Amino acid sequence: MTNRYVYGIVDGDTVEFETEAVAGAERVYTISHRRLGAVVSDIDTTDPEETDEDAQRHDDVLREIMDCDGGTTVVPMQFGMAFEGDRELKNVLRGARPAFRRAMTDIEGRFELGLKLVREDDADVDREAIEDEVADRLGPIAAQSVANDLFSDRLVLNRSYLVDRNEREAFDDAVADFEDDRDDLMVRYTGPFAPYSFVDVKIGAQ
Amino acid sequence: MFVLDDLLFRPFVGIIDALHTIALDELYDVEALEDDLKENQLLYELGERSEAAYQRRKEELEAELETARDVHERLASGRVEVKR
Repeated sequence: MTNRYVYGIVDGDTVEFETEAVAGAERVYTISHRRLGAVVSDIDTTDPEETDEDAQRHDDVLREIMDCDGGTTVVPMQFGMAFEGDRELKNVLRGARPAFRRAMTDIEGRFELGLKLVREDDADVDREAIEDEVADRLGPIAAQSVANDLFSDRLVLNRSYLVDRNEREAFDDAVADFEDDRDDLMVRYTGPFAPYSFVDVKIGAQ
Repeated sequence: MFVLDDLLFRPFVGIIDALHTIALDELYDVEALEDDLKENQLLYELGERSEAAYQRRKEELEAELETARDVHERLASGRVEVKR
């Protein structure tokens, strides 16, 4: 297993722990280049299959990284980034260094939370009014937010929020208050996640 | 006469091919199936769908999705022949 599977990019090289990682690996560690570290586990392919289990492990490892040392900022990679060896990976760290640094600055001390609002099966709701109400309540607390795909007729709102760690409680309370006030909607509130929706660094796996 | 027929009918044959492709796209709509999978997951997470119903629907949709992806791959590679 000489290939490296990448979860995300961190500042430094201190992340290392044992866990259930992608493709049966049991240890996650850091390969760094000039204080920019790629958190990886070993894998025997450069084209991993995206099973439900491994997609979940990828997310779980990212959460564990976020919890390291009382809160580590990680620029998350999408599932499936695997490199032939350390040299190829370090080349990527070198080439994309400015982009990684910019992304890290944008998400420093923050994580992603998800909110989906689903109407009851027979309910008739005013989508625009709900969007405005949610924006008024949550917008001022979040650092940024993005709209996600409305993949079901019953989805009234689907947004991701970038929230400062120290605003987490205020955000939770605002969501809970909204839920209490709306009997006609079901609320799916998820996270925290690594901020996938707020970084846009594309690298080519080799 | 054959040449004339061919010239006269070719545009219609082209339209039939296009309509057939559109029909296949609708019948094997990958994006719609992916959306149905996400909706199934969401309704399960919200407790509106039982685990058994969720699993059953998930398996159905995954099978349909595999078929749809296969059809689109064949269409793209020209391996699907439209028979008339």
